[in-house]
Amino acid sequence: MNKLEVKNVSFLYSKGTPFEKKALNNVSVGFEAGKITGLIGHTGSGKSTLVSLLNGLYKPHSGEILLDGVNIWAKPSEISKIRYKVGLVMQYPEYQLFDDTVRSDIAFGPRNQGLSDEEIEARVQSAARFTGLDPELLDKSPFDLSGGQKRRVAIAGILAMDPEVLVLDEPAAGLDPRGRREILGGLSAYVRECGKTLILVSHSMEDMAYYCDNVVVMSGAEVYKSGTVDEIFSSAGELEAIGLDVPVIARIAERLRAAGIPLEGSLYTVDGVRDAIKSLLGGDGK
Amino acid sequence: MTEKIIETENLGFIYEDGREVAANTPPALDGVSVSINKGEYLAVLGHNGSGKSTFAKLLNMILTPTNGRIVIGGRDITAENFSDDDVFEVRSGIGMVFQNPDNQLVATVVEEDVAFGPENLGIPREEIRTRVDEALMRVGMTEYARHAPHKLSGGQKQRVAIAGIIAMKPDIIIFDESTAMLDPIGRRDVLSIMESLNRNEGITVINITHYMEEAARADRVIVINDGKLVADGSAKEIFSRVEFLHSIGLESPQGTELIHELRAAGYDLPSDAISEDECFDALLSLFSVRGGVKDE
Repeated sequence: MNKLEVKNVSFLYSKGTPFEKKALNNVSVGFEAGKITGLIGHTGSGKSTLVSLLNGLYKPHSGEILLDGVNIWAKPSEISKIRYKVGLVMQYPEYQLFDDTVRSDIAFGPRNQGLSDEEIEARVQSAARFTGLDPELLDKSPFDLSGGQKRRVAIAGILAMDPEVLVLDEPAAGLDPRGRREILGGLSAYVRECGKTLILVSHSMEDMAYYCDNVVVMSGAEVYKSGTVDEIFSSAGELEAIGLDVPVIARIAERLRAAGIPLEGSLYTVDGVRDAIKSLLGGDGK
Repeated sequence: MTEKIIETENLGFIYEDGREVAANTPPALDGVSVSINKGEYLAVLGHNGSGKSTFAKLLNMILTPTNGRIVIGGRDITAENFSDDDVFEVRSGIGMVFQNPDNQLVATVVEEDVAFGPENLGIPREEIRTRVDEALMRVGMTEYARHAPHKLSGGQKQRVAIAGIIAMKPDIIIFDESTAMLDPIGRRDVLSIMESLNRNEGITVINITHYMEEAARADRVIVINDGKLVADGSAKEIFSRVEFLHSIGLESPQGTELIHELRAAGYDLPSDAISEDECFDALLSLFSVRGGVKDE
């Protein structure tokens, strides 16, 4: 079942001027409830525009966006309610921190939702847990934290609003491998435990292959392809044709298959390829 | 004969910036001694907060070391009699490209942005024109010379930023996570410019990165952890130490990780396959040797 559905959506920048540019051209795509969907595409493919449409920052010029089957623009005056339901974490969200303490920064959203103090504190604690923030950091100034910690605070601020759908644009950009794993692993635990729907934008095909259930590939203002991670990453050639990478490990696996090695399985993560090789060579190599 | 272009000796740095700092603030950089040869292609690895960016900022004199010595091109920039003019002169020989291109473009027209560096060096007008044209051609941005930088893609902006550095004709260029924000095409472009500047023009390139695949292409890799230099060697030497890298929050390229796991399971594979081709060849040979299992 689709939590969010984009139906025949078109969007133009500078509409009606000589600079008019079509950013989305009759795009239709669904985001499955309770799943992590990756959104990939190179610069200018339309993915950031799509993301901004999903929580009503922009209004489509034609077509509609359905949340649980209801057009989010059915009552334009209530679009701000949609933004509580669809939380958007933009690139480099750490630049948006502003409050005296980490706790009050994370609490800003829920406070505006009019929740009780107890409820807010519970939300803050849970958001800090999923983003891997040490509870003792809550009373510090967000500006005394490292870049990676600030990023977590900013993401926690959105989680604390308890959105039904969470959209993150490059949440792990600029982080080291451990930081990436902690943030993306925490988000994926959040989705599984709380039954949320997650949309992840990233240029890192390795992360996409590892964390996503489904992938939507954008190219030239249109959806080029969408499907399960298996379907998308099993055809490296197609992705490379539109200027995208596939994980190195998927390329190695594809070359082995082309050389006549009949590998089978999820051939786009290190674990998947390892298991495929082991099962072909018989057991654990001992 | 190799000439040393950068030498650091027992380099240390502690951040003190007026704001409240915990009493036991550990040094951001501690006792780092390293020498870098002219024309070398060096990658610097380390997790966030490891001190690698601090290291870069010390080399470019954005920061002044708390202790230790830095010698650049034979000149001790930490010497007491090193004047502001000297700093200016040495710094103009070291270009730095940062992570976010939006933070380093200053002008409203691409070619003016590229001219900003040489203008400040007091280069004559005609010479600036030549340098700007050459630099833009070098990064493949000639056709955008009269465009507005803010309308370019991330990769294009980063190429303009690099052109601005090239136009200053530095001996050393430090790339501080310059590809982190770019899409695959942008990353490939920046990487190939970086490598051609090194190979064809002999510029010393220091690439600070979180992408292991990127670092694996360098001639030499150094690893900084908790402010200390913990490893220094060829890409092969560094990335074959998979367990060690994991222990400090880093990884090896995916192919190497796979081979490491298969080796642990008893398969006979080389530990130093790093590039995609090497890993592919190694894995393929596993299948041509019957069974591929170690004979005990």
